[in-house]
Amino acid sequence: MGALRDIATIARWEVKKSFSLMGRNVLPVAILLFVLLVLVTGFTAQTGLHLQDGMYRVGVDDPQIAGLIASDARFSVYQLDARTLIANRNSFDVIITGGQAAGSGTDKSNAALKTLSRDYGKYVNSVYNTETDLFAAYPLWIDTESVKSELSFLSTQSGQYISAAPSRTAPVPSGPVPEIPTPSPTLSITEDQLRAQLVKSNTQNSQISRYTETLTSSGAMGAFKTPSQLSPPLPFDSIILVFVFIFPLYFTSQFFMMSIMNERIERKGEILLSTPMRSSSIILGKGLPYFIGMVAICLGLTLYLRAPVEIMLPLLPVIFFFLANALLIGMLSRSFKELSFISIFFSTVATSYLFFPSIFANVHVISLISPLTLIVLSIQGTPWTVTDYLYSTSLFWLTGAVLFYIAAKNFKEERLFSEKPLLTRVREFLSEILPVKYPNLSLFLLSGFSIPFVFMVQMMCLVLFFNLPMPYSLVFLLLFAALIEEFAKSIGIYAMIVRNPSWFTWRNLVIAAGTTAIGFLVGEKLLLFVTLAQISDSIFGSVLFLSLASLWLPLLLHFVGVLIVATSLKLWGRRGFVPGLVIAMTVHCLYNLYFILGWLG
Amino acid sequence: MKSKHLSIIAKKEFRGLFNERTILLAVLLQLFIALFSSFLMVGLTSMYDPSSLSQYSRFRYSVAYAGNDSQVLTYLQSSKDFRVFKMDLSTGVAALQERKLAAVVYVADTKPDASDPVKITLYTLQNDLQSAIVDVKLKDIFLKYEQDLRTIRAGRLDVQPVPLQVPSSAGGDFYEFVYGLLIPLLVFMPAIIASALVIDLITEEYQHETLETLISTPVTFAEVIWGKVLACELLVPVQAGMWLFLLVINHIAIQNPVLILLHVCITSLILILLGTLVALHYRERTAAQFVYSTGLVVVILLALAVPSNPLNLLARLAVGTAGVEQWIVLGVTLAIVAVLGYITHWYAGKIGMSHHAG
Repeated sequence: MGALRDIATIARWEVKKSFSLMGRNVLPVAILLFVLLVLVTGFTAQTGLHLQDGMYRVGVDDPQIAGLIASDARFSVYQLDARTLIANRNSFDVIITGGQAAGSGTDKSNAALKTLSRDYGKYVNSVYNTETDLFAAYPLWIDTESVKSELSFLSTQSGQYISAAPSRTAPVPSGPVPEIPTPSPTLSITEDQLRAQLVKSNTQNSQISRYTETLTSSGAMGAFKTPSQLSPPLPFDSIILVFVFIFPLYFTSQFFMMSIMNERIERKGEILLSTPMRSSSIILGKGLPYFIGMVAICLGLTLYLRAPVEIMLPLLPVIFFFLANALLIGMLSRSFKELSFISIFFSTVATSYLFFPSIFANVHVISLISPLTLIVLSIQGTPWTVTDYLYSTSLFWLTGAVLFYIAAKNFKEERLFSEKPLLTRVREFLSEILPVKYPNLSLFLLSGFSIPFVFMVQMMCLVLFFNLPMPYSLVFLLLFAALIEEFAKSIGIYAMIVRNPSWFTWRNLVIAAGTTAIGFLVGEKLLLFVTLAQISDSIFGSVLFLSLASLWLPLLLHFVGVLIVATSLKLWGRRGFVPGLVIAMTVHCLYNLYFILGWLG
Repeated sequence: MKSKHLSIIAKKEFRGLFNERTILLAVLLQLFIALFSSFLMVGLTSMYDPSSLSQYSRFRYSVAYAGNDSQVLTYLQSSKDFRVFKMDLSTGVAALQERKLAAVVYVADTKPDASDPVKITLYTLQNDLQSAIVDVKLKDIFLKYEQDLRTIRAGRLDVQPVPLQVPSSAGGDFYEFVYGLLIPLLVFMPAIIASALVIDLITEEYQHETLETLISTPVTFAEVIWGKVLACELLVPVQAGMWLFLLVINHIAIQNPVLILLHVCITSLILILLGTLVALHYRERTAAQFVYSTGLVVVILLALAVPSNPLNLLARLAVGTAGVEQWIVLGVTLAIVAVLGYITHWYAGKIGMSHHAG
């Protein structure tokens, strides 16, 4: 109870302080800026983004076509007669003579042709949309039916193709053959409804879709599509909405970061530290108003946008994660510059992690590693399960909790007010949570708790390299996964060796490597067991997390890896860290190649 | 104002930056953005336009065809991408569920010249990357068939669109993304970083109460401020230039690199001076950064709404289609810089006076 009262007191102070700081000067300006922002957004939506204007030069001999192309600001259109155009064809990216477009074969010219053909397709559609006989203009309609495969998605995720060996004869299903009703030959929607859909998809916010139409031909169209609408829809509207949610979270966490930093300037926080309150109460109390504020903002936005309220569920771990990082960044940086750079860096990395997978929301299950995908799905009306929720949010909950713990342990005078370089401070923060009395136990716990971070970074790599063609994606993943794991395993020992080199006799060193390896393995298996079964069964998963089946081989690998780094630290001091890492990474890679892929075997 | 004093202040700020090595983070950040966005683009393009990645093209996907014969069957049979089997619909879907097929196509029995549309039912696997690729490949065949049907039914159309033949081109997929989005973004990023930096540098002097010490030296307050502006401004061409260099190494040809740097330097001065004014007004980082970053979004959105804005100019310079209008834009930008510079100088002078008085 006492702790709760402390938290409430600190929270009240925090609110009072930030209001007195911000209220007088900033609030009127903030309101003014907000109104301006709304106005400017409206204005920009009207006029469009003029970022790619005039990129291409096009020469046309026909005024009608010239007018058609000029409606796209990307083209600078020159209307000249055919002979002049052909004589000067090198000064244009595309020339159009006698209704025939011709490029010059350069990259730029090819890009111009692609844009031109998309624009022309749009124009043709707009003409066809007004035809009285719609089915003369659009004689073919596709009804797409998705079939759920029993074999789940694992086989394709692991880089295999749909049918492993295309055969000469028709495939025969081995299981039972359920009766599929013959589809009716008529469309179940009226002509007018179809026309309305066509018009809508053709005029769909062309100023924004310009930047996305490289990717899709049109938005979602319901069950019936014309052939040109067959590409999978990019959930662009939902993704924009997601940004609407994430952006205020950045701002609010910035305020929290700054509030922590302000305590440290000129040792202002000493008063707070001298109270009998526990450091965990202080940071929870300081964070609470921001947490409530962020939840309130998200809830307000949800209600305003009439989005389903369950999108709060995936947002909560994101908020928690942001606050934990903001706290640690506020505690680590020495100056405002450093705070700015680290926080910009953090927010970019976090946005990428959150945002990019959700683009694939309709296409691939890998998108589920980001909680935002759940939001996109909710807004689209696609249901998701508790497993999906655990899968995409557990890493955020866990890493957030570990960061809060580290911050609470370090929230004291000698850490907050020291002026040492960033990396030294990170190391000190780590060694603070490794009690001197129980070195092995703390190493065990540290490497166990590093697992969520390792997974997070590896997930990031997975998203990143997933886009590359198959052999490269695997090679890169192999290298990075090994490097990340070896790094995570060895930082504990690194921190301890720097703190107390004399403790590391050869015997203690071997024991420390052993406990680290066991801790890592236990953490890895536990987390895998709970959440990541989906990915861990694929070939990408086996590179990242080793197999669940045998235990002693991975343990040996972890042990050898840590031992290599520890030995090189003991022999050459801090300079030995990087070479040790490289050797350990190589060993790790060779192991993966041999046992998982069997390339050497 | 003495140039020696300016350079002393600028040098002091550079020393601070290098001591903290934070500048490395900024570089890393840009590298990360470039890496991630290009990876993303490659991934997306290969998903929606699989022919851009040759490795997919050598595969022939097995598909089942159900229903009466039509032109679609002929197209499928002659396609290099597919191996087609005539199958019963139920058997086909069952085989699809076992992943022995990539898709099942059912064509309804409607006459090509009927008044009703022809309906094709397409069964594909849910939530599957490969099925997205199969979709795109089938799309080509359906488009061909749609064109056939349109020709047959052409007599029933009221208006014919203006004919234009556009040859299908290979390559050029990433061009618009790289030149129209990535390059302006990357080259302009240093300007944004520099303007956030100047706020930190100024508010730090206030909040760490180091300002009095600085002013007690022969350096005036205005010189301190201009020294900080100078330090931030000098970082811009270095960072932006490094970007251009990296892009060129990656075989992305950039036209007019010198002009691009010139434009970035001058445009970034607007942002830096705006940041300076906000920092001078609030003298406290939280408030200044908040107001500035909200204002920045407004300014950038507004700029993008105007044709021939500086960001658009960067894209056009990079592809080599910028004309004389660039000098007009530059002139306008310089005029804004001059006005902001005058205000900053006046404001700094005023604050300096009050400091000396107090």
